[in-house]
Amino acid sequence: MNDRKDDSIDFGYQKVARSEKKSLVANVFQSVAAKYDVMNDLMSFGIHRLWKRYTIDCSGVRKGMKVLDIAGGTGDLTAQFSRRVGPEGEVVLADINDAMLKVGRDKLRDRGVVGNVRYVQADAEELPFDDNSFDIITIAFGLRNVTDKDKALRSMLRVLKPGGRLLILEFSKPVSATLNQAYDFYSFNILPKMGQVVANDADSYQYLAESIRMHPDQETLKSMMETAGYEKVDYQNMTGGVVALHRGYKF
Amino acid sequence: MTLLPLLPTVLFEKLANTLLKKDAQSPERLRRLAGKRIRLKLKELPFTTTVSVDDAGIYISTADSDDVDCCISTELGVLPELQDTANLTRLIKADQLDIDGDPMLAQQLVGLFKSLDVDWEGELANTLGDAPAHWLMTLWRKSRSHVEKRLEESKRWFKGVVTDEKQLLPTREEFNEFKDNMQQLRAKVERLQRQFGERKS
Ligand SMILES: C[S@@+](CC[C@H](N)C(=O)[O-])C[C@H]1O[C@@H](n2cnc3c(N)ncnc32)[C@H](O)[C@@H]1O
Repeated sequence: MNDRKDDSIDFGYQKVARSEKKSLVANVFQSVAAKYDVMNDLMSFGIHRLWKRYTIDCSGVRKGMKVLDIAGGTGDLTAQFSRRVGPEGEVVLADINDAMLKVGRDKLRDRGVVGNVRYVQADAEELPFDDNSFDIITIAFGLRNVTDKDKALRSMLRVLKPGGRLLILEFSKPVSATLNQAYDFYSFNILPKMGQVVANDADSYQYLAESIRMHPDQETLKSMMETAGYEKVDYQNMTGGVVALHRGYKF
Repeated sequence: MTLLPLLPTVLFEKLANTLLKKDAQSPERLRRLAGKRIRLKLKELPFTTTVSVDDAGIYISTADSDDVDCCISTELGVLPELQDTANLTRLIKADQLDIDGDPMLAQQLVGLFKSLDVDWEGELANTLGDAPAHWLMTLWRKSRSHVEKRLEESKRWFKGVVTDEKQLLPTREEFNEFKDNMQQLRAKVERLQRQFGERKS
């Protein structure tokens, strides 16, 4: 797997050495961690809350379940899962970046989300959990930052219980050409400026815009999931395909 | 279309849970229903609504397709009729209602809110301050009693009309008056027509 001919990979629009991407991505999130939540609300006009809520609604979460929120960052999904699985269940908030994890932990503690949440620093490509240990896995706006997406998909499949489901919430390809143009303009002209003003960091938001464009579109991601071994894979477009929610089962 | 129904749903869920929290009896009532799931399919809406209860409150979802304990399929207009259990059989026979699962569940769920005992004035005072809250509540009570009085009046009127069938037919005097009015009207119209004709020529 490691002896690829072309040993470079996209970092936004740039090509970087495969080994380098992880630390570059880490830099991005290290630098945006503190302002991450504010920026999310600003950039998406608050709609990301609805995208996330819809993800929860599609997850089939019940009392007592075990949930992994990988690339969970500041823990928006974790907070909602925690309430729903109750004291008999458990939610693991995992992220590769300890700065994001720390912001998440502080935020959830302040909100009184305690007791059934565990915080783990982990790489989606090599999850440090036993086989068949989660009923639900979510990865929200995380997969596009992962260096080897196929490897991450397989790793998640391994720790999923039979009957469990994976939900991938990620930026995707708008279905209409007009929306696509407007969206391009927004991402490349307005977004980095907002990043500059609010978080004093235009580069990171330029990277976000580029990484969104480089991410596989709806059908490609679907077939990647099927190749990794997920079954009954489907997806739903939201906000005209700006975001898509992919779902697959392990049987 | 996926997100559109979400906003009202989320707001409604928030409101419902806020109300539930205000009644000390709610935890006990919720515990009895905890774990139950009810789905509502309305013919007019392109999505289904699923309510799940747990001991902390209710969750409403428009994207849930997993198993439920009770599924109600009906039309918007039929909803108010469901309050009375006596109607159920008739509605089912008329194909206006279909219940799959435990039919009592829906009533228990509604009961959760019907039996709420909330000190509205106290709640409002907390958010608005005492004076405006008192003023609002007085206004509310006044309009309530006004509306109730009007409702009572119209009920009485309606009862009078339908129970006394003869009332539906006009009396002799009423008919004569109607005839007179008609004749006057006809005369007026003819006069107008004449004037109109003269002006044209
Ligand atoms: C855009 S944030 C999303 C955070 C959160 N899920 C949300 O929706 O608000 C992406 C997160 O992915 C994390 N991440 C990037 N690469 C990762 C990897 N290989 N494994 C785990 N997490 C990773 C980043 O540290 C960052 O916190």
